[in-house]
Amino acid sequence: MKFVGIAKKDFKELIRDRRGLFMILIFPLFFMLVFGFAFGGMGQGNQPHNLALVNYDQGATMPLTNEHVNFGNNLTKLLGDSKYENSNVHLFNINKTTETVADSMLKKREADAELIIPKNFSKSVVALIISTIQQQTVTGINTTVTPSNSTSTIIIRGDTGYMGFGVSQGILVGVLAQYQEKLVTQIQNQVKGTPGAQPIKYLQSKVEAIPGTETFTNFDFLAPGMMVFAILLLTTTVAAGLTREVEKGTLARLKLTKMTSFDLLFGGMLPWSLIAAAQVVILLIVAILIGFHWQGGLNTLLLAIIVGVIGGIASISLGMIIAAFARNDRQAANLGTIISVPTSFLVGAFFQLPQVVIAHVYGQPFQIYELLPWTHVLNALRATLTFGGGWNDIAYQVEWAVLLTIILFIIGVLLFSRNRLRAEN
Amino acid sequence: MSDIIMDAQELTKNFGDLTAVNNLNLKINRGEVFGFLGPNGAGKTTAINMMVGLLRPTSGRVLIDGKKVEDVEKGTVGICPQELVLWNFLTCKESLELIGNMYEVPDAELKRRVKQLLNDLFLTEKANIVVDKLSGGMKRRMNLAMALVHEPEIVVLDEPSEGLDPQSRRVLWNYIRRLRDEEGKTVILTTHLMDEADRLSDRIGIIDHGKLLLLDTPENLKKEIGEGDVVDIKLSDPNKNQEAITVLQGVEQVQSVLEVNDRINIRALDAVGKLPRIMEKLETVEVSIADLSVRQNTLEDVFINLTGTGLRE
Repeated sequence: MKFVGIAKKDFKELIRDRRGLFMILIFPLFFMLVFGFAFGGMGQGNQPHNLALVNYDQGATMPLTNEHVNFGNNLTKLLGDSKYENSNVHLFNINKTTETVADSMLKKREADAELIIPKNFSKSVVALIISTIQQQTVTGINTTVTPSNSTSTIIIRGDTGYMGFGVSQGILVGVLAQYQEKLVTQIQNQVKGTPGAQPIKYLQSKVEAIPGTETFTNFDFLAPGMMVFAILLLTTTVAAGLTREVEKGTLARLKLTKMTSFDLLFGGMLPWSLIAAAQVVILLIVAILIGFHWQGGLNTLLLAIIVGVIGGIASISLGMIIAAFARNDRQAANLGTIISVPTSFLVGAFFQLPQVVIAHVYGQPFQIYELLPWTHVLNALRATLTFGGGWNDIAYQVEWAVLLTIILFIIGVLLFSRNRLRAEN
Repeated sequence: MSDIIMDAQELTKNFGDLTAVNNLNLKINRGEVFGFLGPNGAGKTTAINMMVGLLRPTSGRVLIDGKKVEDVEKGTVGICPQELVLWNFLTCKESLELIGNMYEVPDAELKRRVKQLLNDLFLTEKANIVVDKLSGGMKRRMNLAMALVHEPEIVVLDEPSEGLDPQSRRVLWNYIRRLRDEEGKTVILTTHLMDEADRLSDRIGIIDHGKLLLLDTPENLKKEIGEGDVVDIKLSDPNKNQEAITVLQGVEQVQSVLEVNDRINIRALDAVGKLPRIMEKLETVEVSIADLSVRQNTLEDVFINLTGTGLRE
C-alpha cells in the first residue's frame, strides 16, 4: 500500500503549494470567464447568423401535377423565416448572392457560413417524393412516374477556425435534416390521407422553431470545451511536477527505497484525479454563473465528474510521457503547453471540426480526432451538461475514453519507468 | 561475515569524451568511516552514485556483501546527497514517515525512529514545521535524517558539511562518530574539507581527475610525505615566484618547494631553524615578503605533494 503514502504526499504538496494550486484552478477559470463574456453568456440574447446563400437550383416538374417547382427557393425562404425556439429572433440573416461574392464575404467574415444549393436540388427532392409515394402505396396507385435516383449535395462552406461558422454550421445541419424529415412526413400524411394534409402541393412548408435553440448560445457550445481545456492543462502541471522530482533528486531518493513504479505513478494519479473532478465542478459553477444553460441536474453533474476524472487520468498519462523525456521542469512545462493547447483545438474544445471519418465502429463513423481520449471526454461532457443526456447517451463515448486512457496510461508508465526509474546511464 | 562490506572493482564512468571515474578499485571495511577526499569535480559524487546503484558504470562492478549492487536488498544503503533533497511542503515528521513507509518500516518502529532521529539531530521542536520554513542548517540535518530513518547498514554522506555553520558541523560530526561507534554502521563520507576528512575518517582515499591517488589512514598519509613543517610565503610580487623557487631549492635539507595558489610552499624538517637561510636566499633575488607562516603538515600538503597543486574549489 505504498501508493497510499505517495498519494498522501502528493495531495499535501498540492494543497500546501497555494501558488501552484491557485494557478491550476484559477488559470482555466480565467479562460472560462473570457470566453463566457465573449461568446454569448451573461444573458445576452440570441443573434441571427449571417448566411451567404448561393442557389443554383434549376427546378423540376412535379409528378402527377406537372407543376414546375423550385425547392431551392423553398429552402431559402424556410431558412429566412426560421426562428430561435420561443423567440422572435431569426436564426439567419440571408444574403442571396453569387458564389464568388459569398466566398469573399466569408473571407471578410461578413458571412458566418456559405450555403450552396446545387442545380439538381429540386430534382433530388422530387425523386425523394416519388420514392416516398411508392413506398407508401401498398396495393398501388399505378403511377407512371419513375424515380430518377437523383442525389444532390448541399454545400456548407466556411472557416472551421471561426466560431461563427462552428455554430452556424451546427444549426444549418439541424435545419436541413429537419427539412428533409418534415418533407417526407408530409408526403406520407398526404398519401395516407391524414386529416389536415393538404392536396398535393409539395411546396407547402411550415416554419417552426428549431428545438434546443431557445437558449443556445456559443458559450453553451464552448463551456464543456473549456472544461476539457482545463483538464488538458493538467498535462503541463503533472509533467513539470514529475520532472521537478527528477531534477531535485527526490525521485532518486525514492528510487533507492522499496517503492515500485506502480506506487509512484498510481499514487500520484489519485490526487490529480481529484483536481480534475474539482475543476469540472468549479468550472461548471462559474459557467452557470456567467450564462451556461446546464441541463439535466445533479445526475449529469455526477456523470460529468466521472468523465472529467477519466479525462484527467488521460492528461496525467500524457504528463508522464512528457516527463519521461524533459530535461528540466521548465522544458516539461513548455512541452506540456506546446502539446496540450493544440490538442485542445484538435479535440474540438473551441470550435467544431471538419468531418474526417477514418472508419466505422458499430455502425458509427469514427473520426481521426477520436483517437484522442479527450475528444470522447468532450463529446460526453457536451452530451450530458449541454443537452442533459444520461448514461445511455454517453456510454459509447465513455467506453472509448476509458479504453484510450488505459492505453495512454500504460504507455506513460512504461516510458517513465524506463527513462526515470532505472539506474541512469 | 566478511570484513569488506563494499567492493568497487575497476569502476569506470565516461560521459562522452570525459572520464569522470577512471578504473577505480576500492574496498570498504565494515564499520569504518571511509573518507573520499578530493577537490570539486574530482569524481567523488559520480563514484558514490555508482557505488549505491543510482548510476550505471561504463565498465566495472560494485559488490555489497558479495552481491552485485543491483541485486542488493533495497534499504541496505542510505544516502545523504550533496544537494538538499527534501519535499519542501511536507513537515519534518511527514518527510521521515514517508521515507520510512517507502522502506516498509513497521508503523510502531517508524514512530520510535522518527522521534529518536528528530531528537538526536535537534529537530524535535521543528517536527511539525514544513521543510520550506527551516533554516539552512536544519535542512542539512533533515537531509541526513532522511538517509537514516530506515537504519541502513551503509550510510553514504556526500559533502555533508557543505554550507553548515560551526555549531551544526559539530553536531553532524558527533553524530557520524556515534553512527560508527554505537551503532556499528559503515559510513562513506565524501568531502573536500581536509579537516573533516582528517578528524572523522578511519581511512582516506584521495581522488582527483577520476583516479584514486592514495588510500590509507590519515596518520599514514601524513607520514607518507615525511615529518616536518611547511613554510608558506607570499611575495609582494608573485611574478617573481619562479625565480624565488629556483634559489630556495638550493637550501640544504629542504624537501620540496612548490608554487600553490600564487604562494610558495616550502616543506622541510625544522623549518623554523631554516628561516634565516630562506630569507637570505630571497634577498638575493630582491623580493620582499608580504606574508609568511609556519605550520605542521596537513592532508592538504599530502594532496599538494601528490598532484603538485592545491585543492580546487
